[in-house]
Amino acid sequence: MSNTKSKEIFTLGVWKDNPVYRQILGICSALAVTNLMLNSLVMGLGLIFVTAFSELTVSLIRRFTPKHIRMMVQTLIISAYVIIVDILLKAYYPSMSEALGPYVGLIITNCIIMGRCEAFAQNNPPIYSFLDGIASGTGYTIVLLIISFFRELLGFGTVFGINILGDSWVNWSLMIMPPGAFFMLALLIWATKSLLPEKDDETSKGGAVNA
Amino acid sequence: MAKGKKSIVYPVTFMLIVTVVFTLSLSLLNEFTIDRINYNRDLKIRRTLLYVFDVEVEAYSGESTDAIYKRYIEERIVDGKKLYIAKDGDEAYGYAFPIEGNGLWGSIHGFAAVSTDYSTLLGIDFISHNETPGLGGRISEPIFKDQFKQLSLSGSEGDYIIFRPAIGGNVDTITGATGTAKAVREILNEDIHAFISHMKGDR
Repeated sequence: MSNTKSKEIFTLGVWKDNPVYRQILGICSALAVTNLMLNSLVMGLGLIFVTAFSELTVSLIRRFTPKHIRMMVQTLIISAYVIIVDILLKAYYPSMSEALGPYVGLIITNCIIMGRCEAFAQNNPPIYSFLDGIASGTGYTIVLLIISFFRELLGFGTVFGINILGDSWVNWSLMIMPPGAFFMLALLIWATKSLLPEKDDETSKGGAVNA
Repeated sequence: MAKGKKSIVYPVTFMLIVTVVFTLSLSLLNEFTIDRINYNRDLKIRRTLLYVFDVEVEAYSGESTDAIYKRYIEERIVDGKKLYIAKDGDEAYGYAFPIEGNGLWGSIHGFAAVSTDYSTLLGIDFISHNETPGLGGRISEPIFKDQFKQLSLSGSEGDYIIFRPAIGGNVDTITGATGTAKAVREILNEDIHAFISHMKGDR
């Protein structure tokens, strides 16, 4: 396991080839859960767990999996891990399980997981696949936290539920509602597009998929 | 192995094995955690009931909640339905009953408590709902549900909850969550009315 390779996986997953603003994956949940920072954080952690272990499992059995049924196998593996997250939250963190409600189950529909399983884990050894899952999940979590930071701050005047802007702040209800998410995500993609030079695309082709 | 992958038998067997392995591990995990999950669910119902009767629960520990619950609340089956009676010493001061109805996205379940003379709503709380977090989901935040503590039910029958600024309004609604708030008002008005007329008819 070489350091350069794992470093590259992380640069790609978190920054250069970030699943949300580069590959435009996982947008639905990035729009849905980002009105509170705590929700975004737990959602992100859940996604890191599911992506990492799904990629690990897919990679472990990749040599035995018949090519034409691999999607079925991947879906099964992903949903199994999502159910594990759901059960663990219900048993050991019931208050968060309630706060996230249906979103935990919706991790299954997150295209990042399937995208990475298909693009990376199918062709790479287990350890790197596991790291790639963590990297992509982290990239997703960071984006969610950035978006939710602005949405929660402007929409509620709070950060992680702690009041920052004081009582005189007039909440922008728009930021908590769906349009606020669209505006923030668009601004973020715009900002990263102008910050990241396009020529980097050569190196970031590694695992990009369009889904 | 490479040749075997092309046949029909191999993919089917492979899929069967994968499915069995994952289903088995999930059911094992479920088996190990089911008691804990059920306990958490019961604990939540007990906390909810203590809340609607306005009994203070300090620490978030299961044991203290259970002890306080046993001291204040008695469960009784009336006409096949579970009725929760709150008592202070020997004297009963309120009844709690489940409320249920359609919210904006899914069904809302909860409890409401009224005083023994049916003149006051002691409190309400929700067990489960699927409302939008941050908007309709705020019905389970103290700022909304605390408003229903000690609310007079003397208004016209079946029209107990009225949102301000309507005439006779007694509760504030939630900005940006009109659908959920309306649903909650209807559930409360209907279920409280049904419960009171049922209990009064009993006597």
